[in-house]
Amino acid sequence: MRKIWERIGLIFLNLFFIAACFIALVPILYAFSVSLNAEGSILGSDFSFIPRQLTLENYRAVIMDQPVLLWLGNTLILAVVSVFISLLISVPAAYSLSRFRFKGRKQVLRFLVLLHSFPAILSMFALYKLLSPLGLINSKLGLILIYIGTMAIFGVLNLKGYFDSVPVEIEEAAAIDGAGALQTVLRILLPLAKPALIVTALMVLIFVWNEYIYAITFLTGAQNYTLAAGLYSLQATEMRGSWPLFAAAAILVSLPILIIFFLTQKHMRSGLTAGGVKG
Amino acid sequence: MKRIFALTLSALLLCTPFSACVKPAEEGGSAAQSVTLTIWHDKEDAVAAALQSELDKLQPEIRVVLEKKNGLTEALKMVGNDPKAAPDLYFFAHDKLGVYAEMGILTPITEFVDADTLAQFLPMTLSAATYKGELYQLPIYFETLLFMYNRANMREDQVPATTEQLYAYMEEVTGGGHYGFLEQHSNAYYSAGWIHGFGGELINADGVPQLNTEQTIRALEYHLRFARLMTGESEYATVNTLFKEGRAAATIGGPWLIPTVREAGIDLGLAPMPIVDETGLPLAPYSGVQGLHVLKVAAENPAKHEAIKAVLHQLCNTDIGVAMAAASGCAPAFAACYELDEVKNDEMVMMMHALAQSAVPMPNIPEMDVMWNVVGNMLVDINMRKVNVREAADKAQKQAENLIAAMK
Amino acid sequence: MKGKRRTLSAWFSQAPVLLIIALIVVFPIGYTAYISLTNMNVYHWFDFQIIGLGNYLKALAVFDSGFLGALLITLLWTAVNMVLQLVIAFIMASLLNIQKLKARRVYKTVLMFPWAMPGYVSILLWKNGIFNSSFGLLNQWLEKLHLAPMRWLAGDVSAFIACLVVNLWLALPFMIMIMDGALQSVDKSYYENAILDGAGWFTRSVRLTIPAIRPIIAPAVVITLFTTFKQFDVIYLLTQQVGAKTGANIHTVLTYAYENAFVTNNYGYSSAISMIIFFFLIAFVTLSNLKRKEKKA
Repeated sequence: MRKIWERIGLIFLNLFFIAACFIALVPILYAFSVSLNAEGSILGSDFSFIPRQLTLENYRAVIMDQPVLLWLGNTLILAVVSVFISLLISVPAAYSLSRFRFKGRKQVLRFLVLLHSFPAILSMFALYKLLSPLGLINSKLGLILIYIGTMAIFGVLNLKGYFDSVPVEIEEAAAIDGAGALQTVLRILLPLAKPALIVTALMVLIFVWNEYIYAITFLTGAQNYTLAAGLYSLQATEMRGSWPLFAAAAILVSLPILIIFFLTQKHMRSGLTAGGVKG
Repeated sequence: MKRIFALTLSALLLCTPFSACVKPAEEGGSAAQSVTLTIWHDKEDAVAAALQSELDKLQPEIRVVLEKKNGLTEALKMVGNDPKAAPDLYFFAHDKLGVYAEMGILTPITEFVDADTLAQFLPMTLSAATYKGELYQLPIYFETLLFMYNRANMREDQVPATTEQLYAYMEEVTGGGHYGFLEQHSNAYYSAGWIHGFGGELINADGVPQLNTEQTIRALEYHLRFARLMTGESEYATVNTLFKEGRAAATIGGPWLIPTVREAGIDLGLAPMPIVDETGLPLAPYSGVQGLHVLKVAAENPAKHEAIKAVLHQLCNTDIGVAMAAASGCAPAFAACYELDEVKNDEMVMMMHALAQSAVPMPNIPEMDVMWNVVGNMLVDINMRKVNVREAADKAQKQAENLIAAMK
Repeated sequence: MKGKRRTLSAWFSQAPVLLIIALIVVFPIGYTAYISLTNMNVYHWFDFQIIGLGNYLKALAVFDSGFLGALLITLLWTAVNMVLQLVIAFIMASLLNIQKLKARRVYKTVLMFPWAMPGYVSILLWKNGIFNSSFGLLNQWLEKLHLAPMRWLAGDVSAFIACLVVNLWLALPFMIMIMDGALQSVDKSYYENAILDGAGWFTRSVRLTIPAIRPIIAPAVVITLFTTFKQFDVIYLLTQQVGAKTGANIHTVLTYAYENAFVTNNYGYSSAISMIIFFFLIAFVTLSNLKRKEKKA
């Protein structure tokens, strides 16, 4: 009896998620359909998700006529370096905020939160004034600094939240067993906080991947663009550009993120198992 | 122990960000004698290619690099006086030059090109680019809105000569998802043509908004009758798609619309702007003049002065005008172009040239920057939210005055 | 002695992060504060001078009844968004953690799609593809059901709801991921299979799961709170874009400040308005902190 109910429950659950996925995908399916359409508009009466004149021309045009590989390379460099450094500097900070009780700790935490309330709409000019004397305009390093700095607060606070949830007793037990501090953190804490590391890394990655405002302002010349900046330059406006091409480019740009997301899914498991440790 | 770990790790980290990934330096000056000039633009590839190939004729002494810059207007505000980051020239419409001239980042063109050469350009394009008595742009081509109709829907004898004829046609045809005439009725750029047709204007030459003058209010009231026979939504995607699908018989649109309309299989006709019955004036849309501006940091660099002069002179002839007309579908600014067959036979370019007599160049004063949004809100209030015209105009006038006061 | 050393090393391990935050986040705030005291505008773009508090006096004019209306809408916007995001994300994440749900990796990935695309692209797609009154999917579906078409973005209420839907669509993937990550980090016995057990799930969620994940999700929630408050793109691009205004008159604090100050190119003046909004938010956060402390005491 119980089994049957469980079955029915699972069927409904699956239906629920299929519906949810459909809602999540509607605008994207729309873009997909536009990108496959031989006719050049975003709008049209009698829209159908399967275009009447199917073509892959727009995808060909994006890949062959635009320096997409160059943009992908630029983006990958920015993304990998930003994610790596972000984690590298956030982990120790989050660790000490989580584990040590020191003078100024509370103030740091509150300060970090408050900084987020600044409407950064005018920050561009200040960042220019900062980076220009250092010769970091039109350079990847300048953008990396901006990206890391923008995401650092989230990284630290987010990691600290997870570290808090890992019982200190585990580390102390390891220390008694003779493990060094570095070993304890690398072997015990980080595996336990894996979901947090992945969440933080994905957050930085997606931010860098989709950021275009700093990229188009601080980078000049199509060969220096990131994918998001390149996509922005293909944007269809009233005067120029083609919606199908733009839609195809938008879908191509988001695909790598989805693949990475799918691949990281199975690592989103903590080392903590059911009933293993008491929180 | 934990502390030691934290210490080592952070010591390592302090060093990393600064050693990571530095972009290799820009290519050094390899050709010793040649001067390299950078031009920023945000144009489509065909236009950039036409400009590039014309300027390549100056090689090897002068090498011109065209760099496509998204967000050009904002970037110039930041880097405009930074010799390391600013371009030497930029290629853009004339309507922002007042802002940059006030900021002090532009040098007048007259420093490089003499009056006799400049006299060969259409007077409208020169006056568009003049701010406080100084000419800040070498005009290349200009664009303005055109009256377009679908020959399948609108017969030759139905093409309206006056706005009342247009209204009668709209009343007759509009209905069931079809429209006699459609335009972006609540967009300041498009409705300015109607206001000019009544002798009104958005802002006068001294930077004083003119939104609640009798002429402007009369135009807004008159235009509202037409807007009622159009779609509720008025952004370009809706308007242009309805025209392309043959569901709107006529529209007012820019030259950029024409290639896609023809592609969609519409038998396109172009006609002069209808004349407002009350005033005898045609609808007079804004025009935009595209051309080259010289940045002060480049002009003050003695090594570049002669090269800039050469670049500008290279563009004072019919070649670039003809090439640009072909690439952009817009009208050349150089007068002699209109004596050539390539240009004469281009219906669209000639129509635009004819309109140059009545079209109003967009104001280039800095105060105009705040007007687009204020006028947009006013039009939405009138055409979509059914606010009384005079009330909406008064409110907008006050808001515009406040914003302009806040600029200083 | 020991305490001092400990404090020192704690600070040292935070030095890199704090340094970079100081450069990229704090410096712009300081610079904006400085500019707000100057007359930097189109007419004094590079040769500006300090003029004192003049910009703040002028800015008071912006904080009129229109601003108050925008503030109320912003608070409503933030509250509704946060409540819906947290509730929906928690339910979704809990359901996604049912071990017997075999396809959950696929579901999770697909549900992340809205986050994988740059926001402005998605907003344009919603505006043109879904909500457009002549061609949008919604009206095409209505037409198939023989219902009259709606102008979704024209009315204030329907436009607010449309913006809300788009914002939820954009923000939920992140929140679901945060909740999912948090659920992975707490003791599984809290929730495993609890949902299929039915009745006990709600009580267990409220008593055990939510208190357990609260400290983990808190940073993300606080940050989302600020992001929602400062949300500009969704409302601006859907309803207020210059040249493509839809007729709805909804403004948040930032879109209002944009239309009434930032367009002037008066940097000193705009900076003053930014600073005032900043101070306002700080006061808001501090007050709500104090209140919470009082409750605890």
